[in-house]
Amino acid sequence: MRRRDVVAPVKTDKSRFQRIENPDDIWLDENTDFPIKKFFFSNREVLFEFSGNKVKNPSLELKDTVYFGVRRCDLNGIMHQDMVFLDDNPDPFYKARRDNSILFGLHCKEGDEYCFCNSVGLKDFFDLMMYDKGNHYLIESGTEKGLVFLDEFKKFFEETAEMISDNDRKIKNNKKLSTTNIKYMYGNESWEDLAKTCLSCGACNLLCPNCHCFTIQDEIDFDLKSGRRVRVPAACQSKGFTRVAGDHIFRETRVSRFKHRIYHQIQYFKERHNEIFCTGCGRCIRGCPVRIDWVKKINEIKDGN
Amino acid sequence: MATKEEIIARNPYLPELKEINYYKRESPDSFTIRLKWKLNHGAGQFIFCSLPGIGEAPISICSYSPEYVELNIREVGNVTNALAKLKKGDKLLVRGPYGTEYPLGALKGKNIIIVGGGCGVAPLKGVIEYIERKREKFGDVSLFFGFRTPEFALFSEQMKSWKKTFKLHISFDKIENPATCTTGIQGFVTQLVDDNVKDSNNAVAVLCGPPIMIEKTAELLEKKGFSDKQIYISAERLMYCGIGKCGRCMIHGKYTCLDGAVFRYDELKEHMD
Ligand SMILES: Cc1cc2nc3c(=O)[nH]c(=O)nc-3n(C[C@H](O)[C@H](O)[C@H](O)COP(=O)(O)OP(=O)(O)OC[C@H]3O[C@@H](n4cnc5c(N)ncnc54)[C@H](O)[C@@H]3O)c2cc1C
Ligand code: FES
Repeated sequence: MRRRDVVAPVKTDKSRFQRIENPDDIWLDENTDFPIKKFFFSNREVLFEFSGNKVKNPSLELKDTVYFGVRRCDLNGIMHQDMVFLDDNPDPFYKARRDNSILFGLHCKEGDEYCFCNSVGLKDFFDLMMYDKGNHYLIESGTEKGLVFLDEFKKFFEETAEMISDNDRKIKNNKKLSTTNIKYMYGNESWEDLAKTCLSCGACNLLCPNCHCFTIQDEIDFDLKSGRRVRVPAACQSKGFTRVAGDHIFRETRVSRFKHRIYHQIQYFKERHNEIFCTGCGRCIRGCPVRIDWVKKINEIKDGN
Repeated sequence: MATKEEIIARNPYLPELKEINYYKRESPDSFTIRLKWKLNHGAGQFIFCSLPGIGEAPISICSYSPEYVELNIREVGNVTNALAKLKKGDKLLVRGPYGTEYPLGALKGKNIIIVGGGCGVAPLKGVIEYIERKREKFGDVSLFFGFRTPEFALFSEQMKSWKKTFKLHISFDKIENPATCTTGIQGFVTQLVDDNVKDSNNAVAVLCGPPIMIEKTAELLEKKGFSDKQIYISAERLMYCGIGKCGRCMIHGKYTCLDGAVFRYDELKEHMD
């Protein structure tokens, strides 16, 4: 058996994914407050190092890791980030971490008042998926990698003839996005109602399992010679997101930035990749300091009020 | 499975060092450099230039040669001002090329109308050099350039020879001393286009410049019968990666770095914001 790290949900003040030392720390009661994305799209990535004019690749510390207890929304978030970072010009840092990962999911039974994953057409995307049957879990493998893993750790599993039922695959939702065809709503003036209360804080961007925009900047050391070029996450809700020399800003109004995020989530990504970007995890509403409910807004516009 | 060394060996963010073998002050706020760099690229594509510790900036290639890459850079901020301080023999970091190109190969036999404003003339120089190499493949070629004042005019050397090969028209927003200015008229570039472009027959227009110039020129051309499919523009947005990942250059659902920076006007028109 190969040694691997385990990343799983832990609850302290908030719930989030962490590297686990002790299996008792694992907390599987609900979905986590924070998405899993930072393990692949990190908070700060060194793109290369320099000393004077000399540049060299950074050293990558990699550990084979099992990501355990990941919900369907976050798994689809990874699938979407794969479409961006593993395209025909793949991002090597993202790729290295994905290559060294086993995605071990946990299927939800019911979402909370913010979840609406059934509205956005999630796909099966996992190496392994667990279904909670009360006194035992049923495990399904989605990839060759998942099968090999099961085989390697077979002493922990038991073969069974029990089937995963359609009911097991259902997730009860208490919230619904009533349409994903929002192109015609772009000019609707009532978006302004939401944008008015928005603080442009970018919490929605950071909490989103899909959002992956970044800034590239240089860091220089005290010797004024060596340093590194890094990338850090960026939020499209902040005004400086598009600022070019001469201080010109595209999407200058709050409402245009607000709509940019929603349209990227629901429309633009789909035009390009044929998948709705948003995975219905509801974190951008749950974690919004002023609880802006854009799902409700779309539903209202659709219903004509 | 590739090892991490193999994966990282294809690091698209890692630039290479190239030497400057020509440097010229082009105008009060811009300079032109030539890099010793045999780069296979199309007209209208761009690269990223950088200096370690300062940062990166996307810059259009303003030449068309298998031997070298020329850039015309306006000093507007940190990176561009730092680049301006380099001299012949110095080195800078580059990666590229990126973005779409003007589809010149597909425009054989067409009359070409080229309209540039200010530093937007730089990428058009690459287009013109491409056409110069294959002059017989194109019909009438007219150049319309607008600059702030005569001293801000770019490529005065090249203009002399372009004047011989093409129909060249230049305007200046302001001329201190109109009596002594022989290179152009006072006014906006749109006026030159209005006065000299008769119709849209068998023609394609290539525009590069500030958004307002693009908008006004396109409007004018449409009045003269051009369809949006006969107009190519180059869009500018903040860019950090050039490879469709950082998300900064999005114009609605389009990535300026992948789907542009050269767009056919109909692809972008409804999205101009
Ligand atoms: C496709 C494309 C082609 C371009 N071609 C040319 C050219 O041929 N000649 C030329 O002079 N300029 C060109 N520009 C504009 C040039 O990239 C900016 O003027 C330059 O990035 C400003 O950097 P700075 O550090 O000097 O300015 P600062 O204002 O100090 O900028 C700080 C950072 O913001 C970013 N930034 C600022 N303005 C822009 C901008 N307009 N576009 C993208 N990133 C920006 C840069 O990453 C820079 O590191 C082009 C821009 C694009 C997108
Ligand atoms: S420059 Fe990064 S996505 Fe276009």
